[in-house]
Amino acid sequence: MSLIIDSVFKRFGEVQALDDISLEIKPGEVFGFLGANGAGKTTAMRIVLDILRPDSGTIAWNGRLNTEVSRDTWGYLPEERGLYAKMKVLEQLVFFAKLHGVKSKEAVRETRDWLERFRIPEYAERRAEELSKGNQQKIQFIAAILHDPQVLLMDEPFTGLDPVNAALLKEAFQEMKDRGKTLVFSTHQMDTVEELCESIAILDRGRVVVGGTVRDVRRSTGRQVVRLAVEGDPEIDWLGTLDGVRVTRRGQDYTEAEVARSQDPAVVLQAALARGCKVRHFEIADPSLEQIFIEHVGQIDTSERTLAPKAVYA
Amino acid sequence: MNGWRTLFPNAWYISVREFRSRARSRSFVLGTVLLAGIAFAATQLPVLIDFAMGTSQTRLEVVVRAADMPSDAPAALSATLNGQSAFTAHPPYVVSWVSGNELASAQRALEQGKFDAMLIVDRDPATQSLGFTLRTDLPSDGQVVRTINTAATWGLALDDSLARAGTSIGALGATPFTVLPVNPSAGLAHSVSQDVSSDLLSTGLIVLIFMAIITYGTWVAMSVAEEKGSRVMELMLNATTPLQMLAGKVIGNGAAGLTQYGIILAAVVGGLLAQGPIHQMVVGSSSGAPFGGLDPVVLAAFVVLFVLGFLFYSLLYAALGSLVSRQEDVQSATSPLMMLIFVGYFMSIFGLQAIDEAWVQIASFVPFFSPYLMLARVSVGHVAIWEFALAVVFLLAAIVVALFVAARIYSAGVLLYGQRVGLRQVLKASRVAR
Repeated sequence: MSLIIDSVFKRFGEVQALDDISLEIKPGEVFGFLGANGAGKTTAMRIVLDILRPDSGTIAWNGRLNTEVSRDTWGYLPEERGLYAKMKVLEQLVFFAKLHGVKSKEAVRETRDWLERFRIPEYAERRAEELSKGNQQKIQFIAAILHDPQVLLMDEPFTGLDPVNAALLKEAFQEMKDRGKTLVFSTHQMDTVEELCESIAILDRGRVVVGGTVRDVRRSTGRQVVRLAVEGDPEIDWLGTLDGVRVTRRGQDYTEAEVARSQDPAVVLQAALARGCKVRHFEIADPSLEQIFIEHVGQIDTSERTLAPKAVYA
Repeated sequence: MNGWRTLFPNAWYISVREFRSRARSRSFVLGTVLLAGIAFAATQLPVLIDFAMGTSQTRLEVVVRAADMPSDAPAALSATLNGQSAFTAHPPYVVSWVSGNELASAQRALEQGKFDAMLIVDRDPATQSLGFTLRTDLPSDGQVVRTINTAATWGLALDDSLARAGTSIGALGATPFTVLPVNPSAGLAHSVSQDVSSDLLSTGLIVLIFMAIITYGTWVAMSVAEEKGSRVMELMLNATTPLQMLAGKVIGNGAAGLTQYGIILAAVVGGLLAQGPIHQMVVGSSSGAPFGGLDPVVLAAFVVLFVLGFLFYSLLYAALGSLVSRQEDVQSATSPLMMLIFVGYFMSIFGLQAIDEAWVQIASFVPFFSPYLMLARVSVGHVAIWEFALAVVFLLAAIVVALFVAARIYSAGVLLYGQRVGLRQVLKASRVAR
């Protein structure tokens, strides 16, 4: 009873896009695909959807191959956003729902319901081209879920959304999760992952470099992180001078440091107290996903290096 | 590819969407209205010409001052003036006869413009032969005056001489006259004018197919490229199969195209039917019958070949359209197909002059050309029923092959974004695509 990706290989010409990917995504879970551009996230999703065929390997949902399950199993929000520009929103959404076998009446009702929820009911009779990018994205999300799919695959769903719309989309995620749907999405926004995901996989050049529940992934590094804030000394310059302690981030709220595995993180607190500092905040934490990501993949690459074919829109 | 089982209802939904979005577009509405208007106007051209010429009829009054005119003189004059058109609804000359003592009122009618010319017939008292005086403002060296001159001489004067000699034109008309072929076992050759009109008809039908395929095939390609460009494609790919999309697009755009075509043809037919009444209204007399020589067999063959040829080429257009993602590139992507269509078109136009040549006969079975060439052969009438059936079977088979090839190219092409894709790349990609 889960989505199982088993030893999937996929090559585009000279480039190994997916290199022995194996994953298990449990039903009802929110799963995050992390990776730099070109890591293989989009390709992996397209292969799960059977839009592309792998060179070898299989994908199964609840024990049945993805080539055999109904297409209505999947809801897909592609990274390449696109709607019929001249078509009215309601008409368009009903069209997509009907393609998935939803009855007209039901599709209309569901569509209006979701437009309401996204606070754009007045756009039902507008043409898609009249909507802002963010609103178009919400329409596309609705298009992906109208047929009540069991698995929702979303490629970079939060890219280009303002905070208000992002919050609305997160609410919708929660709603789908409450309905027992399995949610898979790709992103390179680490805070979103930490907020939403139960499990993740970090992809790099077509390989899964680390995967599992967010908690396990965080603990897997064996690194220790402390966060410290003291009264009247925002810099805490002395922290870096401690043996086996390396400052990783200085912030307004606290300073973050990594403590060598040989050391007890409590030495930081002891040192602070020994110096007579008034400790406002002390925390022993797991490393953030961002740190883990950087550790495994290197610098977050924001350049437009991508393997999945991308539309050139002129 | 398990598309057959699930082709409907999705292909149907897609075709309805395609049809609607096409039929609602401004270019479609404007184009249809404009073309239908032009077509209707074109059918009224004869009326316009007649109207511009004032009237194409010459109204002639004949004042007979000569005694003892033969009784069939009016018929003889009218027949000579009008030739073969004498018995149509709109003969070029209308003749009215008055006796010699009405000369004054006839002169008044002429002056009032009720007639274009007045012909006064006298008899020479010495020789008893007829003499003529023509009063008119028409050019004295013009066609009309010359025709009246000839008709008076060879119609009236001859008829009168014959009557005085004790015979008549009617009696001469009963002279036996038989036509036989050179070789007694061969059939009679048919007339040149018949050949020309059937050639014109088949050329017209070929042009109709040619225009429809070029115009509406391009629509299909445009629609595919547009969808790829607008990036709805990936959403569609999750909801449908490439085969469903392909079928829906071809049917939807095809139906929109045929609708426009139907409206334009209706304007033409309506225009031709209205030609008579309009002519009556504007010019004051009715014109000849517009229809003739449209063989129902040719018409049926036309419909079959039109639909099948259109389907076949539309599929190919869709496949080529999927190779590009911008509408501007559609023209260059589909140019090879355009060449092929032009080749077929010119082959059939030249083929009409050489309909029994071997190359025409062979090419008329090739699916790329059969919509034109088989139609040409059928309209000229030099084809056996099995030949037509065979061409249709080949065409149907080609459509099935085109459907699968196109679906393959399509499913690979739609995901290869952003580049002008070569056929080799597509064939490579089609092996890995669904």
